[in-house]
Amino acid sequence: MDIFDGLLLGFSTATTFSNLLYCFAGVLLGTAVGVLPGLGPIATISMLLPFTFGLPVDTALIMLAGIFYGSQYGGSTTAILMNLPGEASSVVTTLDGHQMARQGKAGRALAAAAIGSFFAGTVGTLFIAVSAPLLASLALTFGPAEYFSLIVLGLITSMVLASGSLLTAFGMALFGMMLGMIGTDVNSGAARFTFGLPDLLDGLDFVVVATGVFGLGDILANLENERNREASAAPISSLFPTREDRRRMVAPILRGTGLGVLLGVLPGAGVLLASFSAYALEKKVSRHPEEFGRGAIEGVAGPEAANNAAAQTCFIPMLTLGLPGTATMALMIGALVIQGVQPGPEILSQQPTLFWGLVVSMWLGNLMLLFLNLPLVGLWAKLISVPYHFLFPVICVFVAIGVYSINNSVFDVYMMALFGVLGYFFRKVGAEAAPLILAMILGPMAEEYLRRALLISHGDASIFFTSPLSLGTLLVAMLLLLSIVSPRFRRVREEGLQEAD
Amino acid sequence: MHIFGPQSIPPLRRRLLVRFHREVRMKIVQDALLGSFFTLTGFAAFSMALQYPFGTSGRMGPGYFPVIVSGLLVVTGICIIIRSMAGGGDSIAHVRWKPLLLVPGAVLAFGLAVEPLGLFVAVLLMLVISAVSSSKFRWNWKSLAGALVFAGLCCLLFVQLIGLPMPLVGNWLQ
Repeated sequence: MDIFDGLLLGFSTATTFSNLLYCFAGVLLGTAVGVLPGLGPIATISMLLPFTFGLPVDTALIMLAGIFYGSQYGGSTTAILMNLPGEASSVVTTLDGHQMARQGKAGRALAAAAIGSFFAGTVGTLFIAVSAPLLASLALTFGPAEYFSLIVLGLITSMVLASGSLLTAFGMALFGMMLGMIGTDVNSGAARFTFGLPDLLDGLDFVVVATGVFGLGDILANLENERNREASAAPISSLFPTREDRRRMVAPILRGTGLGVLLGVLPGAGVLLASFSAYALEKKVSRHPEEFGRGAIEGVAGPEAANNAAAQTCFIPMLTLGLPGTATMALMIGALVIQGVQPGPEILSQQPTLFWGLVVSMWLGNLMLLFLNLPLVGLWAKLISVPYHFLFPVICVFVAIGVYSINNSVFDVYMMALFGVLGYFFRKVGAEAAPLILAMILGPMAEEYLRRALLISHGDASIFFTSPLSLGTLLVAMLLLLSIVSPRFRRVREEGLQEAD
Repeated sequence: MHIFGPQSIPPLRRRLLVRFHREVRMKIVQDALLGSFFTLTGFAAFSMALQYPFGTSGRMGPGYFPVIVSGLLVVTGICIIIRSMAGGGDSIAHVRWKPLLLVPGAVLAFGLAVEPLGLFVAVLLMLVISAVSSSKFRWNWKSLAGALVFAGLCCLLFVQLIGLPMPLVGNWLQ
């Protein structure tokens, strides 16, 4: 099916009343979630995942995807207006965005963010439409050795990008792999690490762990320092960018989009890396770098474009290879698997309505967000002034009900509480949870591909190095690891991660 | 902090040593905790994994991957502990115990209550227990009423509207 036919099919799928409705619901919810600090897309998607079981698979994915990229829009709104990044990737937007708001240019900053995000979303969607079929046909030639090397690359990237030391991130990834191995081994039927508990025979549910570590863990961390949030929003003047603004926005948006599109595809990277790389890039190429941090519109447009582009393209490895690049993508795979769809290269040929419908609805969702955000700014400002001590019990309830409803199992609820405590523990000792979650999904996959590869080669490990793609991937991973040793890269990484903190 | 006798070491040296010890003792906490966590869990996993058949490289058994991964985990944990002893890490910031016990406690209460007592009571319990953990919570008619209303809404939303198979009223109360 060529691209044009695919897009037509996608259009007819995405514009059905039910799909439009759920897309709208998704982006609205996503924006709300992005606005509220303390509730992120991962926790929300894991909460809603069990409830999507009753929906047709394309509708479910459309809504969940809407939540994800919608949260990128929401995060930037509060970042600009209240200096409160609703999402981690919006932190860089606070640097210049809030300064602009203080100078009375809030409307222009919001417009820059929205326009940049929409442009990036469009380009990102087009990129998916063009590259996914190519990648899928390439992936059909992949063998287990190539998949294994890609997984290794993904894990190493997420370790390199985690804040804190590489050694800590490595430990987290290993621990995540151990968690993934709990349950019945597919090949031999042996029950591993189950402690004789029948509830563990199917392994730990990924949603339970993710909700516990991120959802409850976030709540516990937020309860640590309950400060009064400044609900004073900066006044919004005109929403239209001036001619000067428009001229200055163009190049950063283009650069941010390009950067975001590429970084989104890299497994293990994600929106956070895209947004602060774009900020660093803008600062580097600007002729007036001293303006950054004081209200430079390039510092808003570039990162916003980058994080939205990455939010679109990070679906690519998930849809075409079946490999999740980030924890959110792992949840999307979970949604697909619940419905009985196996993500991978065949998805384009076996489920074209799903794929193309999703692609087109992502563009439609971006369009909705462009028109939603600016008028509803006042609503979001009100939402954020709801005191947290009313909000978090509600979040707890949703989270608990959601987890219980996966299997009607109270064991899952207990496990989630345990992982909430664990998530808090990791935060306190300075270990980031992202490599753990990713490794929990990728670890068992890695074991499976390793087993198959070694079976084919009769135990000869050189199979990973004779295939050119596998060798190339492993080399990139090695370079990434070595670069962390170089002092210059360490400094860049620390600066970048400092800003994100 | 009296580590050394008052007269045995020259004053400046003693001050520096005392300060070094205090800082090192506070600073090792973060890494030491994480390293011990990894080492202990890695070791437990390793000993369990050794019981599964290992297999060969060409035919990996169920124990192959777990043994390697848990072994690496133990090594990583030990390295982190060594790093913590070399000093220079961060100390654990202040821990608030009340939310840490109450919020997971609320979730546990939900789990314990939902089947015997039903969704309404379970949600109510959870709301109350978790809300108490905030320092800004005040017990008054408003909050109780709010909790009741919200619990009722949840029952409406999840069971009637979305149709999840959950008991509204539990086994004990029927």
